[in-house]
Amino acid sequence: MNPIDDDTLQAYVDGELDASEAARIDAALAHDDVLARRVQQARALRAQLRAAFDPVLDEPVPQRLSALLQAPAAPAAAPFVRPASGHGTVRRRGPRRWFVTGAALAASVALLAVTLWWWRPGGELVRTQGGQSFAAGALEHALDHALASEPDAKAPVAIGLSFRSNDGRLCRTFVLRRAPARAGLACHGDAGWELPVLGAAAPVAGGELRQAASALSPEVQAAVDARLRGSVFDARQERAARDAGWR
Amino acid sequence: MNSSDAVREGLIPLLPRLRRLARALAGQVADADDLVQIVLERALARAAQWRPDAALDKWVFAIARNAWRDELRARGRAQHLFAPEEAGEMAADGTAQPAQRLELALALAALPPDHREVVALVLVEGMSYGEAAELLEVPVGTVTSRLARARASLQAQLGKDA
Repeated sequence: MNPIDDDTLQAYVDGELDASEAARIDAALAHDDVLARRVQQARALRAQLRAAFDPVLDEPVPQRLSALLQAPAAPAAAPFVRPASGHGTVRRRGPRRWFVTGAALAASVALLAVTLWWWRPGGELVRTQGGQSFAAGALEHALDHALASEPDAKAPVAIGLSFRSNDGRLCRTFVLRRAPARAGLACHGDAGWELPVLGAAAPVAGGELRQAASALSPEVQAAVDARLRGSVFDARQERAARDAGWR
Repeated sequence: MNSSDAVREGLIPLLPRLRRLARALAGQVADADDLVQIVLERALARAAQWRPDAALDKWVFAIARNAWRDELRARGRAQHLFAPEEAGEMAADGTAQPAQRLELALALAALPPDHREVVALVLVEGMSYGEAAELLEVPVGTVTSRLARARASLQAQLGKDA
């Protein structure tokens, strides 16, 4: 019998031998432990590689890759197809740079949209309904979402205190940073944020309205004192109240 | 349907296998997916060169292999050897013990590109020697000998149990 070399044994493991050759190896394996061990090692290596890489087949394909293959006329498809003249280093950075650019662009668009929303012409901050004043626009948005514990110095509305009123409603004080600065109290009800008090903000040292609470006018402060039951919310209570929809 | 549409649509079901091959070639997840992106771009740009009687998978795998070689050339061999702490990213999580994954990743990274690509094509993708030889444009005997040497290196690196 011819000796079985490494290449033949490997071809046997990889299913590359024809039937008669494979039968010859089968027969040899039956009474050659050393040979059997070599076959077992080669199979184990193959199995180890499959175990390492086959799970990739079940991974979700990243969107940036599947997006390249979508919609024939997708406007996004064209810029990805760069001329074949580019070379290695540039090409390698391509995808990530594109991704960053895309993300930055998306962020810019989002920022623009928010800015336009905040400052849209004629954006009313107060509406009246049934003789009562209610928050609208950016003011309503800030009362719904902003947290005093996470102040945003650039936001047009600064939130001050949040507390539960003695009539059971949740109330928040606020200061409008835009001139003319106004301070007020808003209490949440079925019709939205009612504004029982809205007046000029008290001037603070330096003329800046960084701390909404400190800029509350005596009028607002008095309204808070009259309604406050218990104590004002801490950061955790404020967040919980927001997450519960100010109910 | 023109060839561009045919290639684009044909590539969609091949994406998982293409990502697996790229992972076996490039190692790290991020590098592998960057490679896949380059491959898709090239395949779409060259769609007119694909003939419907040719298997799309082999056509695109050849593009992948060539793109990977281009990457290696561009980056230099030294840079391609990734740091040990990054090597563990190669395999998907939970497929093997971390130590084994790391060992395998390091052993693969230590292979010369000629060997690594036959391992990826034959042992990971499951091509026959003949198919791999055609893709690599080398004789079948060359594939066989490269694969045997690659196996010997891997088994030596991975220790007695492999």
